[in-house]
Amino acid sequence: MKNNDVKTLAKGSDKAVDMVLKLLKEKLSKYNVRISRAVANNLIVDVSRRHLRDVAKIVHNELGAYVRTCVGCDERNKNGCFAVYYIFGLDDYGVNVIVRTLAPANDVKVPSIADIAPGADWCELEFRDLLGIDVTGRPVYRLILPEDWPDDLHPLRKDVPYGVRPPPVKREGVTLTELESPGIPVGPYHPALHEPEYFELYVEGETIIDVRYRGFHIHRGIEKLGESKLTYKQIPFIAERICGICGFCHSTCYVMAVEKAAKIEVPERAEFIRAMVLEIERIHSHLLWLGVACHLLGYDAGFMHTWRIREAIMKLAEYLTGSRKTYGINIIGGVRKDINKEKIQNVLRTLNYIEREVKELIDVMLSVPEVKRRLTGTGILTKGEARKLSVVGPVARASGLNRDVRKDYPYLAYKYVSFKVPVYTEGDNLSRTLVRVEEIFESISIIRQLLDRLPGGDIKVEKYEIESDKVSTAAVEAPRGEDIHFLITGKGRPYRWKVRAPTYQNIPALRPMLREQLLADAPITIASIDPCFSCTDRVIIIEIRNGKIVNAKRINIVRLSRKR
Amino acid sequence: MKFLKLFVVAKKAGTVTRKYPFEEPLITEEFRGEIKIDPEKCIGCGACTLICPPNALTMRDEGNVRLIRYFVGRCIFCGMCAEVCPTNAIAITKEFELATLDTDDLLRDLLHKRVKCRICGRPFLTTKLIKYANKDIPGSDNYADVCPECRSKLSIKNILKYRGDLDV
Repeated sequence: MKNNDVKTLAKGSDKAVDMVLKLLKEKLSKYNVRISRAVANNLIVDVSRRHLRDVAKIVHNELGAYVRTCVGCDERNKNGCFAVYYIFGLDDYGVNVIVRTLAPANDVKVPSIADIAPGADWCELEFRDLLGIDVTGRPVYRLILPEDWPDDLHPLRKDVPYGVRPPPVKREGVTLTELESPGIPVGPYHPALHEPEYFELYVEGETIIDVRYRGFHIHRGIEKLGESKLTYKQIPFIAERICGICGFCHSTCYVMAVEKAAKIEVPERAEFIRAMVLEIERIHSHLLWLGVACHLLGYDAGFMHTWRIREAIMKLAEYLTGSRKTYGINIIGGVRKDINKEKIQNVLRTLNYIEREVKELIDVMLSVPEVKRRLTGTGILTKGEARKLSVVGPVARASGLNRDVRKDYPYLAYKYVSFKVPVYTEGDNLSRTLVRVEEIFESISIIRQLLDRLPGGDIKVEKYEIESDKVSTAAVEAPRGEDIHFLITGKGRPYRWKVRAPTYQNIPALRPMLREQLLADAPITIASIDPCFSCTDRVIIIEIRNGKIVNAKRINIVRLSRKR
Repeated sequence: MKFLKLFVVAKKAGTVTRKYPFEEPLITEEFRGEIKIDPEKCIGCGACTLICPPNALTMRDEGNVRLIRYFVGRCIFCGMCAEVCPTNAIAITKEFELATLDTDDLLRDLLHKRVKCRICGRPFLTTKLIKYANKDIPGSDNYADVCPECRSKLSIKNILKYRGDLDV
């Protein structure tokens, strides 16, 4: 499919969208579909439930699209139906194909496409939990809602008010697996990442034979909050608080989705500043990860020194935006804080310092034989598995997939800079480390180029109107991979706002990575996807009561702790 | 044996930690901390309470008094309030040592006197806000001390008078 035409095409441009439109019309002519253009680089394919699986097969397998996410939406007050949006991304064209199917309110079910596109496995369960849209033709279980949540209450439905707290329902403990081998719990609190998650590793001797994951312990109801309480202007600030590390990615992603839907022309200078802060965030996030990885491998000297260097970039972020984290400079229509000559000089000075120090330290770090040996050949994710699960970010790039939102779906000022996307084919922990190390240096170079070409002018537009019922998506390459926000506009606030963080797409890849591995390598392999559980868990209405994960497993933890 | 070079790196870096409470904290000149509202400049318009994303700034009217309350516990230190303030009464300070054992320590209250409507006698806007409006809009002192409800009644009356059918 990659012919010369496609290679020279400007990704995400109107021409590319037209090409995909033509291609889709040709391929889908057999089925009764309606294809229409939405805002920016999005195409909407309306299809009946009967043909959903056929269309998904063609888009995912024949056109080679990646699953970006799928979103359920309660549209009963508009058309009496529940809608499901499957967002496929055609990386070669930079175009999103949004397949929409409707399920009438008296027959709320859709066929599953998880066997065709395994990347959609989780998001199907998500809309089943939160909106009560049943998925047929696949094993279903509760993914997001806590076990003591009543069956017939679906928090994201529009008739469920915000802040509802039903009394807990008693239920039999659900066993996640039939396997008899001993399960070793990692969690409910990760020892090094200091975030709640729960992995259960099944072992035979020292070898892991299967892995189960139970997460979503820290749902904070952000989507429901955005849809029922906040206004368009407040959401950038709460979006920034979805994640403590890549918060700026989330707020940029949200404002970009709104700007696309409302067709707001953002001043170029604002786009440059946003891109610059995004890259600063990437450097600090990758340095943080390198430190944590060293710590997990028992090389604490490396951990201390990485974080010493990282402190310079944290201070730089504060100097530019006013805060070390949660910068708070993103608003719809631009940014709030400008930079001047003096600040540019300071940034360049800090970048020189960081580049020099990181180079020196990485050189030392990777020459430590223990570090190198433990990273090499562990946690392998093959290219085939990576493609099947639509993994994103450094995990995809370390497994030979050349995916990067900055190149594939150009946004902000990235079209003005040249940079390399590091791709490794081994798919082990070492390649994931090296991808991140190279990206630090690429980011430094990107910031230098951006500062060099920084245009003058305004940094924000203040007059705009946001029309209702526009479907829009925006994606940002966060340090961990592709972060995507889906938005349907409403009156004064979004009608539907869905956040898909990169870790959401990467955690399912841990199963093939951990299988047939030694138990001792599990912590570093789990950490190697740079999981961010706060991002992943953002969706639902109420926080789970502490400790009530899965009853049977809870006993396991207690028993194991007592033994010690 | 290359990994031994770490000693060189460590020697060069030296001690980086600071004895914080005894030494200067590590904040830059751009740092955003707690806000300070200047009671002299504040006119009680409530623009800050409308823009505040986490609702740390709230406004309540009671009798002759308007209360502008700043609750530091909810503040996310974004500084949006300082941007919208028409009189630049809000200053962003570098104060970040805000921990306390008593929640009341985190409340900053500002009281404004409200003007009574010339016609119906009900209090509506703050005295200072009306002064501010009179300064900016010439001729507004004729009707600035009339509440919006009475004002619309008044203007309807005037229109009718102009048309000559006042008896209605």
